Amino acid sequence: MTDSVFDFKAQPRANSASDSGGSEDGGEGDSDQVTPLTVCTDLPNNMSPNPPRTPKSPKIATSLKKRHRAPGSHKPEGTRVLHTHGRRTLYTAGRPPWYNKEGQLKNAFVIGLCGGSASGKTTVARKIIEYLDVPWVSLVSMDSFYKVLNEEQHKRAEANEYDFDHPDAFDFDLVISTLKRLKEGKSVNVPIYNFATHSREKQMKTIYGANVIIFEGIMAFANPELLKVMDMKVFVDTDSDICLARRLRRDIAERGRDPQGVLKQYMKFVKPSFEHYIEPYMQSADIIVPKGGENDVAVNLIVLHVHNQLQARGFKLRNKQAQASHNGQPMPDTLHILEKTPQVNGMHSFIRDKNTSRDEFIFYSKRLMRLLFEHALSMLPFRETVVETPQGIFYDGRRTSVKRIVGVSILRAGETMEQALCEVCKDVSIGKILIQTNMDTGEPELHYIRLPKDIKDQYIFLLDATVATGAAAMMAIRVLLDHDVPEEKIFLCSLLMAESGVQTVAYAFPKVKIVTTAVDKDVNDKFHILPGIGNFGDRYFGTDFAE
Amino acid sequence: MERGSGACLQIMDPDVIPLYKAVNECKIGSESSQTDNKTRLDGNDHAFANLFDFGPKFIRMRLTDGVRELQTVIRDKATPRNDFIFYADRLIRLVVEEGLNKLPYRKCDVVTPTGQVYEGLRYEKGNCGVSIVRSGEAMEQGLRDCCRSIRIGKILIQSDDDTHDARVVYANLPKDINQRKVLLMYPIMCTGNTVAKALEILEMNNVKEENIILLNLFCTPQSANQLVTKFPGMTILTTEVHPVAPSHFGQKYFGTD
Repeated sequence: MTDSVFDFKAQPRANSASDSGGSEDGGEGDSDQVTPLTVCTDLPNNMSPNPPRTPKSPKIATSLKKRHRAPGSHKPEGTRVLHTHGRRTLYTAGRPPWYNKEGQLKNAFVIGLCGGSASGKTTVARKIIEYLDVPWVSLVSMDSFYKVLNEEQHKRAEANEYDFDHPDAFDFDLVISTLKRLKEGKSVNVPIYNFATHSREKQMKTIYGANVIIFEGIMAFANPELLKVMDMKVFVDTDSDICLARRLRRDIAERGRDPQGVLKQYMKFVKPSFEHYIEPYMQSADIIVPKGGENDVAVNLIVLHVHNQLQARGFKLRNKQAQASHNGQPMPDTLHILEKTPQVNGMHSFIRDKNTSRDEFIFYSKRLMRLLFEHALSMLPFRETVVETPQGIFYDGRRTSVKRIVGVSILRAGETMEQALCEVCKDVSIGKILIQTNMDTGEPELHYIRLPKDIKDQYIFLLDATVATGAAAMMAIRVLLDHDVPEEKIFLCSLLMAESGVQTVAYAFPKVKIVTTAVDKDVNDKFHILPGIGNFGDRYFGTDFAE
Repeated sequence: MERGSGACLQIMDPDVIPLYKAVNECKIGSESSQTDNKTRLDGNDHAFANLFDFGPKFIRMRLTDGVRELQTVIRDKATPRNDFIFYADRLIRLVVEEGLNKLPYRKCDVVTPTGQVYEGLRYEKGNCGVSIVRSGEAMEQGLRDCCRSIRIGKILIQSDDDTHDARVVYANLPKDINQRKVLLMYPIMCTGNTVAKALEILEMNNVKEENIILLNLFCTPQSANQLVTKFPGMTILTTEVHPVAPSHFGQKYFGTD
């Protein structure tokens, strides 16, 4: 349990695909949940090879050595539980780092799943997810990528005359670009296809990169470029009689369609399509799974292989970061330390003193934060401007050309800085990211993220009270980059940093501006800064009384 | 918050003098002979500001782009009042923080929660603030936000409409003010007469010039010159020296324009 970051059991979230945050507000940046995300469109009409009623998330953990909750889940669920470690209570089963110690992305493992209609692809996918038992598996269905139909095509579809079982029915360009981005660990917006109108909904479903991506669809292997994206190709081969029987039962019993229509469609499109565009691609597969979802042996083999691949990629990131020797290297140019005036030094004396009362601790840290933000604000781009004064003269001044600033706080200690930011910056929007350290692995894990819309066009002040190893800050920056925020628009604002943290962040992200009020020399084996300030969040929020 | 309390007294801002006069009096500095009615001057023109050397006790705050933006917003005629107050408070806070650096302190090492020693310092007790009513009161909150329970005295000075002679109407100061360091607050100086008068009051209360730090936002070269000549021991902190002071400051801040 201790050696691998992939050992966590996520808890089940049935139907998570259709009721998660993104669909309410739509648009990017709305993905507040960091649970394993899955996509599956609810198909009101025909043509759905997979009824979306099955749990797509990693299946329940029977072992509760670690206990879990679904972070960001909207529904209170019985299994939302804590993990207690010593005196501390932690939530686990967050997302471990998906990048290496240089901050560069590690590719996700993509499994392609192909097979005829009603061949049992969904069952196989579900079983793989269940047996894999790792957090962060995304299931992407090809059904989301049907082309938008024009009026005439729409009418034909109503009359069962439109060929949905032809490669031309899919938007392969979009499929490829989406999967490529997902594989790189970046966030993507997947269209939601409406089978009643045969068009895309206005909202998009946001998926954030995962450890494992399963892509399934009848034409999954029909494009050579798409095949290149996949690390593993699985073909589900089920006897066509069985497929037809299932299809008939499903469409008639569950979707209320008449047998004639189903058969007509089957004879005219489904069967020829299988012979022309699906069966021939069986040779592209790495593994062929006969008997579909009932084949446990095949699924176990697949899972074993994926596990080996994942183990080979995982490593202890934080220790590497802490040990990474930047000793003796000069501090990076991107580091901006507040001038150490007597006042700044005096305020530091208050907040570092272990005997300082909480009242004073809060007061002086807030004063210091305000100076920090004034300093950071003056680093934004400015332009010359001329204003007219009430005294009748013109005045050559300066205004910043930045319209909006977004503060993104890293919970919990980063939140303490929000107020100070609001005091110096009107109309600032605030996003939040929860990153916590897994006490067993020492790795930071991403649990929750909520960012304002259009974040990619804004300047970002990333807030964390202290930066020791830089692991959490690095993960937060990685999240922002995955949301297409340009690196040079990120300001990492912190009250206190350790040299190693500065070096790590600056080395990984050389364009991120680092603004702080002081930099200390060392970090101890508990990742506390020395001489440091103690646990800032505990002292600020008063949760350290047990000490 | 004292904001607006001075408004009911219906006093004039004593340092406000007609514009043409201010410009004329400051011709000494303006090399470029502008004859236009609307003079165009760059307040942050260092060449211009540096023509004046007001000695080591006269401190201009470091002009970052951020500070210049604050000055610009305060100067801008088009700034709505709530923005004006927001930006003015920010500038005031920066001046106060800078001014506090001039107060005495001693070395003081502290032990951090990790058991290590941090070489810090601690400020001495025995300071107080004095605001010159009314615009000086705008700075009181900024001082309060930094020093929560600091004592604050007040001086009200009015000027004669014709002669611009300043006259003390009211003064209420801490009794032991002569043993304290005094942070004198007055944001806009045109002639410097008001502050000069306030300093007379402080000296009458046995406050030494050396113990006074004037916190100011905008001043004219003329006022700076008068003060450093008359009170060479006093420390003056400002953000800008400019021939035309934003004399609408008090009116706009308190909303009495």
